[in-house]
Amino acid sequence: MPGSAAFIQFENVSKAFGTAKVVDALDLHVGQGEFVSLLGPSGSGKTTLLMMLAGFEAPTGGAIHVDGKRVERLPPYKRDMGVVFQNYALFPHMTVAENIAFPLKMRGVGKAEREARVTRALDLVQLGHLQDRKPAQLSGGQQQRIALSRSIVYEPKVVLMDEPLSALDKQLREHMQLEIRELHRKLGLTVIFVTHDQGEALTMSDRVAVLNRGKIEQLDTPSGLYDRPRTRFVAEFIGETNLLAGTVSARTDGVATVVLANGGSISCAAPDGFAIGSPALVSIRPEMLHLGNDPAVLNALPVTVEDDVYHGDHVRVHLSCQGQRLVAKAGRRDVVLPVGSQAFASFNRDDCTLVAP
Amino acid sequence: MSAASPNLPGTPGALAFGAVRLAFGALVVAFLLLPLVAILPLAFTDSVFLTYPMSGPSLRWFETLATSDAWKRSIVNSLIIGSGATVLSTVVGTLAALGLRRELVPFSGVLRSIFLLPMVVPAVVLGVGMQILYARMGLASSYLGVIVAHAVLCVPFVLVNVSGSLASIDPALEKAASSLGAPPTAVFRNVTLPLAMPGILTGAVFAFATSLDEVVITLFVAGPNQTTMARQMFASLRENISPAIAAAAFVIIVLTFALLLVVKGASLFRPQRNKQRPQQT
Amino acid sequence: MTIARLKASLLVLPLIVFLGLFFIWPLWMMIATSVQGGTVRLAFPATAVAIAQWNGDGLPSPDVQAALIQDLRAEVVQEVFGDAVRSLNSQQAGFRTLLPRTMTALRNAGADATPKLERIDPRWSQPSFWLALKRGMPAYTDANLLAAVDLKRGDDGTIAHVAPDMAVNRAIMLRTFIIAAQVTLACAAIGLPFAMLAASLGGWKRNFLLLAVLLPLWTSLLVRTAAWMILLQDQGLINQILKALGLIDASLPLIYNRTGVLIAMTHVLLPFMVLPIYASLIAIPRNLMPAAAALGARPWQAFRHVLLPLAMPGLLSGSLLVFMVALGYYITPALTGGAGDQMISSVIAFYATGTANWGMAGALGLFLLVPTTLLYIVYGRLSRTPLGQA
Repeated sequence: MPGSAAFIQFENVSKAFGTAKVVDALDLHVGQGEFVSLLGPSGSGKTTLLMMLAGFEAPTGGAIHVDGKRVERLPPYKRDMGVVFQNYALFPHMTVAENIAFPLKMRGVGKAEREARVTRALDLVQLGHLQDRKPAQLSGGQQQRIALSRSIVYEPKVVLMDEPLSALDKQLREHMQLEIRELHRKLGLTVIFVTHDQGEALTMSDRVAVLNRGKIEQLDTPSGLYDRPRTRFVAEFIGETNLLAGTVSARTDGVATVVLANGGSISCAAPDGFAIGSPALVSIRPEMLHLGNDPAVLNALPVTVEDDVYHGDHVRVHLSCQGQRLVAKAGRRDVVLPVGSQAFASFNRDDCTLVAP
Repeated sequence: MSAASPNLPGTPGALAFGAVRLAFGALVVAFLLLPLVAILPLAFTDSVFLTYPMSGPSLRWFETLATSDAWKRSIVNSLIIGSGATVLSTVVGTLAALGLRRELVPFSGVLRSIFLLPMVVPAVVLGVGMQILYARMGLASSYLGVIVAHAVLCVPFVLVNVSGSLASIDPALEKAASSLGAPPTAVFRNVTLPLAMPGILTGAVFAFATSLDEVVITLFVAGPNQTTMARQMFASLRENISPAIAAAAFVIIVLTFALLLVVKGASLFRPQRNKQRPQQT
Repeated sequence: MTIARLKASLLVLPLIVFLGLFFIWPLWMMIATSVQGGTVRLAFPATAVAIAQWNGDGLPSPDVQAALIQDLRAEVVQEVFGDAVRSLNSQQAGFRTLLPRTMTALRNAGADATPKLERIDPRWSQPSFWLALKRGMPAYTDANLLAAVDLKRGDDGTIAHVAPDMAVNRAIMLRTFIIAAQVTLACAAIGLPFAMLAASLGGWKRNFLLLAVLLPLWTSLLVRTAAWMILLQDQGLINQILKALGLIDASLPLIYNRTGVLIAMTHVLLPFMVLPIYASLIAIPRNLMPAAAALGARPWQAFRHVLLPLAMPGLLSGSLLVFMVALGYYITPALTGGAGDQMISSVIAFYATGTANWGMAGALGLFLLVPTTLLYIVYGRLSRTPLGQA
């Protein structure tokens, strides 16, 4: 977390539309210069959270601080935040340059200065040659970059992005992800980025807040989320995982032994909590499962190969382990076992984690 | 989408702004609807004055409509002329809409603009021209003359409505019908015409309502024998305002809306889809 | 493809013929009548044809004399004859006595006699009278068009103003434009915020507001005007309510004056303003106004820089439509206005139905038709939603 702590603070923030609680007593701290993604399925409250920060929705409870000031009663035009909207919201009747100059004009910046800053902002996204075009004459990627440069030209405290890349095709989207990251680094922007695309969240963010039903399930670095999911929702929402239900039978500091519901026992890295006797799920990512014939290694599960599906860079092997379906990813150089063969799927103690059921 | 409240929901500013919006909306709606609402009850007044508070209720003014020679005749005339103008304009208008549909006719755009001109040309101007023409053609003070004159004014409504419903037909449906073995006439009869029918009927209703409401051209081309209901209303509004006018207005409103309801009813009161509420996720 | 074109053309043909006959032709005839040589021609149709052949040297041929005799023997509307005589007398003094005397003599002579005109009155042997007759019935004249704008040709052919007490047309034209402009402004002032309100609401509220606009549109114009007469009269609902509220003591004069005309016309034309504005507002992407606010625009700045420019096409076509339609209004001003509130249409109606002066009616009609048609062309260029789409 670079910069000073808690540049943006959500304290116990709630938002209800009628009886529906969209955001539920939520806390979130974001540091200055940080890139935080809000990730969640639709209806999880991520856009509402962003809209409350931007000033388009008022919280029904709690407080929001930005840079030490309470903002939740300020109208949007007094908050000094850059917002990049879904579908960009470029003004169709203004040229590219006029669009970018708009926030400066609203702030009473003089004409000469305005022009200079517009030129700089356009150079930043390498679209200086398009300044006299109307938005309708631009490609999707160009519009996206113009929207981006319009939202940073006045050096706002925070840049908020509401699924800004969802309208672009895959290749362009990946390119823009890199470009936004680079802008973030180069300008030291504080960015709150809403997305429902986990890949996007993982590649771009310093930290990701996974939202579910108005609450933050887990706020962590991308690798923390992927390798150490704390809840079943996060484990299943981020990437793909195999979940084995069981009961903690023994534990030491950081390691627990879990007796599986369908027999067998597993040794597994475990976060705090999970006392002996408590139910738990063991989460193992498919790429951590190794197939072999040796039953003697640690954490070996007897499996039958149900199907091999070729995916180009890897092969997905569908397994059944005493009635439960598992998925393993085999590299191109791994031995592929034929369908119907018996084998053992094994994994390291540190490659799995316990999550609450 | 337009100006949502400039203030955050729930703040005093937003409440005041909301109150102003509500008051303004209510005032304009009252301005728009008050005349329609105010004239209808007066059709049932017992008094000889068109004022509130009204006495009654009574049907005496409807009796006047039904028994007074002038009113009775004007109602019959309106029905004759309205029906004639509706049939004439619907036939030529629908044919033209079909012909213009695919823009195959040269100067389609210009033709369409000219066909809509009767809606724009001031009625008095057209009336003068018609009066001169009819004097030469011997059509003055004839039913045919009035019917034709009304039909000219009705054509744009038919054209607009039929063109609208034709434009909304998915061309794939007609292609599908041909691929299923229907020759062009069968495609037209079984696919195009049924799908265009709502537009044709709506156009016909608007045509009839237009004829029913027409005064100016009628003043120029009709003789005493072709006095229509609207013409009669206009005369009594100028000379002696009596509640018979309200009764006639009642008849016109009920007639127009009943026809409109029959034709448009289904779509008018069907819950509207695709109307998104302001974004709030 | 060619057959398809032919079929399409055949379908359109009936309407082309129909409107050609009963829409374009009457308008053409009105224009033609307005520029055809005045009442003298109307009173002496045969002479008009015959005298056109005469080159103006010496005395005209016997054919012309025969034609004049034929015209003078024919039945003619008294006013038309009187107008013709006055007009000729202003060109050449003496016609006032000459023509009635000749007519009486001819009628007394019996239908079969072929008298010489010089015998009836020696003035017929003076070329100046025949010249005046020839000049008095030109094929085309600008007299009506000039009279429509309070001008006339003097005896020497120069254009001059008519006497101030006769000059009323310009004032009425000006009044027509002013009333149309006032109504357009009123419709815009009410229609723009109302359309904004409707566009900002959702669900049944929006539908209700739109229905409130459409219901009047679907109601007879005459009924609506009658309703306003009832509401605005001295004992009408509006005055009663104002009195009951204690706001006024005596009835306000709301009808048979400009106020009544403006109220009723604004009501009638408001839907034509609201609907196009609403259509352009509804096409504005939802996130533009929030974007403007996020970029620092205060509400009025967002309105001024974003909403208004984007609503402008609707506002413009609505204004054009209202103005264009208002110019030709007749019924509503006739019923709710006073003598000083009548628009150009009522003058045209007066000439056409009151005095059968089709030349003047046509000339004034032309002055109404031309601006209306020009506005319609501009409207067509400007607006993509065709007329009457409501």
